[in-house]
Amino acid sequence: MKRSNARTATRRLLTACLLILLLTPCRPGLTSVSTAFGDAAVSPPGESTSQEASEPGADDRSPVADHRGPECLVVDSFFADEVWAKVGERTCLKCHNVKGDASASEFLLRDTAHDRSKRVEAMRHNQLAFQRVAAAQEKSESRLLLKARGNLDHGGGEVLKADSTGYRILERFVRSTASRRRLRSGDTHASGLPLNEQIPPFFDGLQMMSPRRLLRRVTLSLVGRLPSKQERGAVDIDGLDAMEAVLDDVMQEEAFYERLQEAFNDILLTRGYDGVAETALSYEHFKSRLWYQDRDPRKGLSPEEKKELPYSHPRMIAYTKLVADYREGMRREPLELVTYIVRNDRPFTEIVTADYIMVSPYTSKGYGVFEELQDKFNDIDDPFEFIPTKIKALINRNGRQTQESETGFFPHAGLLSSFQYLKRYPTSETNRNRLRVRMYFRHFLGIDLMQLAPRVNDAAALTAKYEIPTMQAADCVVCHKIMDPIAGLYQDYYVVDGKGIYGPRKEGWYEDMFSPGLHGENLQAEQRWRSLQWLGKETAKDPRFAVAMVQHVWYTLLGRRPILPPEDIDDPMFVARRRAYRVQQDEIERIASRFTEADFNLKVVFKELVQSKFYRVDGLATAVKEPRRVAEIDDVGVVRMLTPEQLERKLTAVFGKKWGRLIDREAKLKILYGGIDSKEVTERLSDPSGAMGAIQRIMANDVACKNVAADFALPPEQRRLFPGIELNVVPGENTASDQQIRRTIVYLHELLLGRFDTLDNPSVQRTYELFSGIVNDAKATQGLDKRGSYYCDRIDGKRLDDPNYTLRAWRGVVTFLLRQHEFLYE
Amino acid sequence: MQRRDFVKLCGAAGLGFAAPVGLSSVARAESAETELPSYEGPYYVVFNASGGWDTTCLMDPKGVNEMNRLYKDGEILTEGNHRLAPTAAHIERGMSNEDFFRRHGNDLLVLNGLDYSVNNHSPCSRYMATGKLDSLAYPTFAALVAACNGSEVPLAFLTFGNYSSTGNLVPMARVPYLNSLSRLANADGVSGSARNPYHDDFVTDRIEQALESQMKARIGKVHLPRVERSQSMLYAAQLNSKALQRVTPYIPKSTPKENLSQQADIALASFKAGVCVSANLNIGTFDSHKDNDTDQMNRIPTMLAGIDYLTTKAEEMQLREKLVIVIQSEMGRTPTYNKNNGKDHWSIGSVMFMGRGIKGNRVIGATDEKQFLVPINPQSLATDMEKGIRVRPEHIHSALREFAGIDTHAFAEKFSLDIPDAERLHGLLSQDDMGT
Repeated sequence: MKRSNARTATRRLLTACLLILLLTPCRPGLTSVSTAFGDAAVSPPGESTSQEASEPGADDRSPVADHRGPECLVVDSFFADEVWAKVGERTCLKCHNVKGDASASEFLLRDTAHDRSKRVEAMRHNQLAFQRVAAAQEKSESRLLLKARGNLDHGGGEVLKADSTGYRILERFVRSTASRRRLRSGDTHASGLPLNEQIPPFFDGLQMMSPRRLLRRVTLSLVGRLPSKQERGAVDIDGLDAMEAVLDDVMQEEAFYERLQEAFNDILLTRGYDGVAETALSYEHFKSRLWYQDRDPRKGLSPEEKKELPYSHPRMIAYTKLVADYREGMRREPLELVTYIVRNDRPFTEIVTADYIMVSPYTSKGYGVFEELQDKFNDIDDPFEFIPTKIKALINRNGRQTQESETGFFPHAGLLSSFQYLKRYPTSETNRNRLRVRMYFRHFLGIDLMQLAPRVNDAAALTAKYEIPTMQAADCVVCHKIMDPIAGLYQDYYVVDGKGIYGPRKEGWYEDMFSPGLHGENLQAEQRWRSLQWLGKETAKDPRFAVAMVQHVWYTLLGRRPILPPEDIDDPMFVARRRAYRVQQDEIERIASRFTEADFNLKVVFKELVQSKFYRVDGLATAVKEPRRVAEIDDVGVVRMLTPEQLERKLTAVFGKKWGRLIDREAKLKILYGGIDSKEVTERLSDPSGAMGAIQRIMANDVACKNVAADFALPPEQRRLFPGIELNVVPGENTASDQQIRRTIVYLHELLLGRFDTLDNPSVQRTYELFSGIVNDAKATQGLDKRGSYYCDRIDGKRLDDPNYTLRAWRGVVTFLLRQHEFLYE
Repeated sequence: MQRRDFVKLCGAAGLGFAAPVGLSSVARAESAETELPSYEGPYYVVFNASGGWDTTCLMDPKGVNEMNRLYKDGEILTEGNHRLAPTAAHIERGMSNEDFFRRHGNDLLVLNGLDYSVNNHSPCSRYMATGKLDSLAYPTFAALVAACNGSEVPLAFLTFGNYSSTGNLVPMARVPYLNSLSRLANADGVSGSARNPYHDDFVTDRIEQALESQMKARIGKVHLPRVERSQSMLYAAQLNSKALQRVTPYIPKSTPKENLSQQADIALASFKAGVCVSANLNIGTFDSHKDNDTDQMNRIPTMLAGIDYLTTKAEEMQLREKLVIVIQSEMGRTPTYNKNNGKDHWSIGSVMFMGRGIKGNRVIGATDEKQFLVPINPQSLATDMEKGIRVRPEHIHSALREFAGIDTHAFAEKFSLDIPDAERLHGLLSQDDMGT
C-alpha cells in the first residue's frame, strides 16, 4: 500500500472506530436484556447503580486521586494527564477497545469517559496495559513506540509522527517504565507544568452564593418573580436545605411550565416549522384541520356584505383571535407534551415513548377528535387546555387507505412521531430522513453528528468512483452505516413535498441505503408500522439519553452548553482545560444517574443542578493568578446575560408591570437583543454588541421614565420602589435625611440588583453620590423647570411638582441601576 | 469619558474582548478630539451563497459531458483572464454573468478547485467560514478580523446568517432591519428623538460618571474570569453604543427590495459611520437538488446583483477603496444531474475575492473535465499535477489572515491553522504579496 493510501486508511480506521465508540450505546452498570419490542434492564448482582459521591469537588479529580493499593495499581498523574489524556484516549482507544477494529489485540483499553463508577478501575487497567506494551521490546526498542510509528504491522498504521508531542509523551512514558520509576511530584508535564498529585478539589477557593441570593436567582429564572416572604423566611432559617422544598413549590407554578416550554423550544425549535400552523396536519388525512373556517363571520356573504364586516368589527376580531389561538395551540403541542410529562412527574423518557399526543379543544377539532374528547376538557372554550389522547390510525381522504396498525391507533412515539416535530425537520428525496437522524442524535442522545464529520482525502473522487458511495466508500460508510438504518425507521414518514408528514415512499424504501434497523438489528417487516416506537424504547434505555437531558437543563439554567473537551494537546493549558471539562462531565453524569434513579423525573435534574456548585458558584475567595488555575475556572459561574424574554419577566417582577418592548413584535427589538425566531435565527446571543448596549440604555431610560413618578404618585404603603421616602427629603440637609436616602438606596439595591448591602457599603455610597450630585447640579443650574418632565413625570396628564429635583434624581438613580451587570445578567 | 481613559480602563482590567486589542488601525484613524471609537477600514464583507452553488453556472464553466445543460462548450465566454458561463439568456432578474464579469472582472480574483473535503452543509459551512473542519470553537474570518482590528466599535461583527461563530472574541451583532439602527441611534431620547431627552444632560453625565466609577472600582476587585469578561463587555457595549448615532446620516431614505441589498445597506451605513469592521452577508436556497438550473439561475444572478449593489453604493459613499470582499459557498454541486434535474453536493468548488489590495483579473487553480480538483503549486500558484497541493479552506484562511495583517495577532495564533510553510499560497490575494 502506498504511503498516502496507508494514511488515508489509517484516518478512516480511526474515524470509524471513534464513531463506533461515540455512537454505540454503552450501559454502565446495567446488563440489558433487549429485544426489538420488549426490554429489561437489570443491575448485575452485587453491583449498585447508585452514586458514590454527591458533591462535586469530592470526586472531581483525575483518577490519580485514588492512591489505594500497591504501587503497580496506582495510576500516576503523568499517565492520566499526559499519556492517557493526550494519546491513549484520543488515539489508541479508538481501535483498541472491545468493539473496535483492534479488538483482537492484546493491547485492549477501556473507555474512561462514560461510566464514572468504573473510571478509576478502567484507568488502572489502561495504565497496566500501556506499561506492558511499553516494556515489551522488539530489537531493543519498545513495542509501544514501534507500533505508534506504524511498524510491526500496526493495523492503524502510523498514528503518531516521531516528532509529535504525543510521541514524545510516549517516549517519556517508556523511559519511566524502564526505570520502574513513577513520575511524581517534582517532575513536570510535557507542557513544563509541575506534576502535582495533590491537586486541591476543583471548587477550593471558589465562593458559593448565599442562599438568599440563590433563592432570588431561582425564582426569577424559573418562574419570573421575586421570592415570596415565606420563601425568604425559610431560606433565612434553613439555608440551602430549604431549597428542595422551595423548588418543589416553584415547580408547581404555571410560570415554571411556561419557562419550560420556552427552554425546550430553544433546544428543539419546534415552533419554527414552515407554513401555517395547521399544515402540520395534512390535507390528505385531516379533513377538519380548517374547522375554523365554518366560524368565519364572512362565510357565505356577498362581497358587499363582507364590507360590512371589516377586521375591526368585534365579530371579526373574535374570529381572528380564534384562528390565532388554534394556530398557537397547534404550534405549541410538542412543548405541551414536555410540560405534561414534567407536571405529572412522569418519566421524561416519554418524550420519545409517549403513546399519546396532547390536544386542546381547538386542536382536537383539527385532528377530528373533539367530539369524543369534549367531556374530558374542563373548559371547551379554553384554547390552551391540553389533555393527552391517542388518535386513530390515519385514513386517506378518499377512505380507501388506512395506516397499518395492529392496535388501530396511530403509533405515537412522543416527539419522534410528532407531526410538528417532523414538520420542523422535513425530509427530502436527497436527505432521505437523514436530517431527522441528525436531530435525533442531537436532541435525544446529545451527539452532534456533524461535529464528527471525518475529512476524506478526496470526497469528490469517492462520490464519482462508487455507484452507491454511502454503502461502498469506506469513508462514507463510517457514518451512513449508523445513520441510514435509523433513517429507515422513519420511512413511513416520507412526504417530501412538505404537504404532510405520514406517507411511505411509493416505490418502497430505498435499497441503496443500509437496511432499516437499530444497533445492528434489522427492522422486521411486520413491525414497520411501529418502527418509531421501537426507536423510542431503545432510546429511553440508552444511558446517553439521561446525559443529554441533563445537558438540556444545564443549557436552560446556565444559558450555554457544557464546555467541549480541549483539542490542542500542545496547549500549555491542556491539562487544566481537560480537568475543567471532566469536572463538568462528572457532575452531569452524577445528575444523570440521579435522574435515572428517580425514574427520569426531570424535576430532579432541576433540583440537583440548582443545588450544584456549578450553579451556586459566585466568586473567588482570593485572587487567582496562576495561569493553570485561571484556565480551569475560566467557564465557572452562571454569569448569563438575560434573554429578551427573561429580561422582560424580570422587569415585570420588579416593577409589577410589563415593559413589553423587548418581545413586542412591533418594536422588533427581540432579534436585535439576541433573541431567536426558531426558524432563521436559532441561536441566542450571549454577549452584548453595541446595538444591544443601546437597547439596554433605552430600556433603562424608558422603564425608569414609566415607573418612578408613577410610584411616587401612590400612597407610600402601595409603592414598590419608594415606600420609605418622599420627594421632599433632600440630601445634605441633615443626618436623618441622608440616612433615609441611604436606606432607600439599600432597598433599591436589593429590589433591583439582588444585593444585600449595608448603609456604609461603597456601592451605596456611589449611588448616594449620584443622587446627591444630580440634586446639587440642579440646584446650581439656572432656569430649570420646577416640575418633572413632560414625558416621564406626568400623572393624569399633570406634571408632578419637583421643586428640589429629587423626582428626576431618583429617576436617574433607577436608570443607573437598570444598566448594571447585576440587573442585566444572572 | 475620553476614549483614552476607556482604553486604559479596559487594558488595566485585562478584560477579554472589550480590551481594544489590535488598536493600531483604529489609533491611526483616531483624531485627538474623537471620544468614541471609530474604525476607518479596511472593511471586510463575506458574501455567502448558502446551500452550495453550482460553479459551472458561474466562474468555472464546463461545456462537456452535459455537466451543465445551459450551454455548450463553444458558448463559454471569456472576460479578460476569466472564463464564465453564459447566463444572460437564462435569467429573469438579477445580474448576468456577462454583466458582472464585464463590470468587475478586472477586480475579480477567482480560485477554482477548492477542496471542501466533505460534502455536508453543516461541517462544510463551518469549514469554509473558519478554515477549520474539526472544531466548533474557531471564529469565522469575519469575526476574527473584527476582533483583531476593532472589537470596541459597537457593531464590529455584523452577521445576517450562515455559520457565524465568534470564538468568544467579539460580540456578534444582528441588525435585521435598516430602520432598527435609527431606533437605536438616540437611546437617550424619548422615542429616539434627540430633541426630547429622558434626562437633562447633566443627569445623563452623572449616570455615565457613576458607571465609570463603578467600573473602575470593580477592576481592582477579585472576580471570576467570566464575571470580569462580562462586566467589561457590558460596559463597552453600553458606552460604545453611543457611536451608533453616527449611523443615522447614512441610513438610506428608501429600502431596496432585495434582501441582499438591504443587508448591504446596513453594512455600508455601519462602515461609513465607523462602527463596523466586518459583515457576513448571506443569500440562501442554493441547495438545488431539484431543478438545478432553474434554482441556480435564480440565485446566482440575485447574488451578483447584490455584490454589484454593494460595490456601486460603496463607490457613491467613497468606501469602495476600503472594501475587501470574499464571495464563497460551502460546497459545489455534482458534475451530473440527478433524476430530478437537480445536482447534489460536491466537495470541490470555488471562491472569489475582490477589493482593496486584491490583484484582479486572475484565475488561480482549476478543475478538470470531470470537475475534479487540479492541484496547485503553492509557490507559483500554477496548476501542478505532480507537486501541487489540494487547496483547502485552511489555505484560503491562512492567506486571508496574512492579507489582513492579522496572522500574527494573538487571537489568530490562539486559533491557529497550522499550515506548513511549504503549503502557504504565496501571493494568492495580492500578487506582490503585500497586505493592506
